[in-house]
Amino acid sequence: MHVLTGSYALDALGAQERTEFERHLQHCPSCQAEVRGLHETAARLAIARSARPPAQMEQRVLAATYRTRQLPPLAGQRLRRDLRQTRLARLFAGWLTAGQSRPDAQPRRSGRDRGNGWGNSWLRSPRLVGAVAAACVAAAVGLGITQVATQHQLDSAHATSAAIAKVLDAPDARIEATPASMGGAVTVVVSALQREAVVTTSGMPSLSSSRVYQVWVMSSSGARSVGLLSSTDHIGQLLASGVQSGDQIGITVEPSGGTSRPTTTPVATVPLTT
Amino acid sequence: MHDMNRPEIRAARPDPGPAEGEAQDLAFLLAQVARGDHQAFEAVYAQLAGPVYGVVRQVLRDPAQSEEVAQEVLLEVWRSASRFDPARGSGVAWVLTMAHRRAVDRVRSENAGSRREQKVASEAVTEYEDVADTVETSLEGQRARRCLDSLTDLQSESIKLAYYGGYSYPEVAQLLGTALGTVKTRIRDGLIRMRDCMGVMA
Repeated sequence: MHVLTGSYALDALGAQERTEFERHLQHCPSCQAEVRGLHETAARLAIARSARPPAQMEQRVLAATYRTRQLPPLAGQRLRRDLRQTRLARLFAGWLTAGQSRPDAQPRRSGRDRGNGWGNSWLRSPRLVGAVAAACVAAAVGLGITQVATQHQLDSAHATSAAIAKVLDAPDARIEATPASMGGAVTVVVSALQREAVVTTSGMPSLSSSRVYQVWVMSSSGARSVGLLSSTDHIGQLLASGVQSGDQIGITVEPSGGTSRPTTTPVATVPLTT
Repeated sequence: MHDMNRPEIRAARPDPGPAEGEAQDLAFLLAQVARGDHQAFEAVYAQLAGPVYGVVRQVLRDPAQSEEVAQEVLLEVWRSASRFDPARGSGVAWVLTMAHRRAVDRVRSENAGSRREQKVASEAVTEYEDVADTVETSLEGQRARRCLDSLTDLQSESIKLAYYGGYSYPEVAQLLGTALGTVKTRIRDGLIRMRDCMGVMA
């Protein structure tokens, strides 16, 4: 049987022999290890034959992904999930639990400290949680940057990612969320200890190329700009530093390039009640 | 879906190093894809569409059919990304194993019976050397070719016929006029030698 590892890795067994070998494989750890290495080797044979696919193929495949439901993980399979994502998922789930009784309500505090098990809301609203989980991953990965970036931009993006991760990991992190008046939603994770807030937008409508979303920290002494969200990004994320209780995060639509102070009514404001 | 027209997130990915980093990045991207991240899928597509299409066409030859199968495979990557387990091998191997198997299954189902045998008898071994407009190969691809060339003739011919030709090992034996057992052994020995030559980690 063992000599078949090579032919199996190259798909050179007939249907019946393949089935038999796969049965054998389940009880043969050394065969499994060998097959694994030979599959990796075979993959290199494929790489050696890379060819340029027809131009329209990418569009077809990408379009098809929007029409294709994904399979759930197999039972008992552990997905790689780092601590931060889990933690953020908990924060979001807490918010969902809090939000469920009044779905159209204004922003409210959530509770990662609520006794109201997040696991339940997880189960009750899988679709919403799925969407939020995707946003969580995005949040954990980093902030929106354009595809072409200089090394400096990359470096600072990585630094910002790390700073965002720190806020999300803060022991006192709280989440605030509100729908935006033009559609979409704004979520703010704020840490009073670090005096920082991570502002995440999702599902906000695209703007014309001459307009951008600008994010502000608004306090009694005025508004200061946190930064611009590219209107080509479906999900945007910015880090606001030096925030304190009583401040508000506001988002306005401004001319491209941004302005020094808000010139339009905010499409969303989120009070920071740390 | 409703967000089809919306531009997607442009997220900062971890620095993609040349070789190792890329592989690591792919496992990471696949985990993202499993969670429905279309942007991550685009990045996976960019990395793998070439090898997937290349190997499928190498086996099937017909461009239209190759495109169809390559599309199926790439969509399957989207669909079943949650089933990818990095503990059981690299993302590259996961995807390309799937691609090769689909191509071979397509050949076998279409050629069940005599048509296939006639073809086996009439086709020359050397035909599997190359397909036109193969993309200029990556370093990894070049290394694979060098390693393949370092095998004995019988080893490399058996491997090429099996993998690039999509023949079963009994068909390979028939083509080469060699005993079944010999071909089985040559394929395995040759692949192991290639694996060691390439420094592939199991």
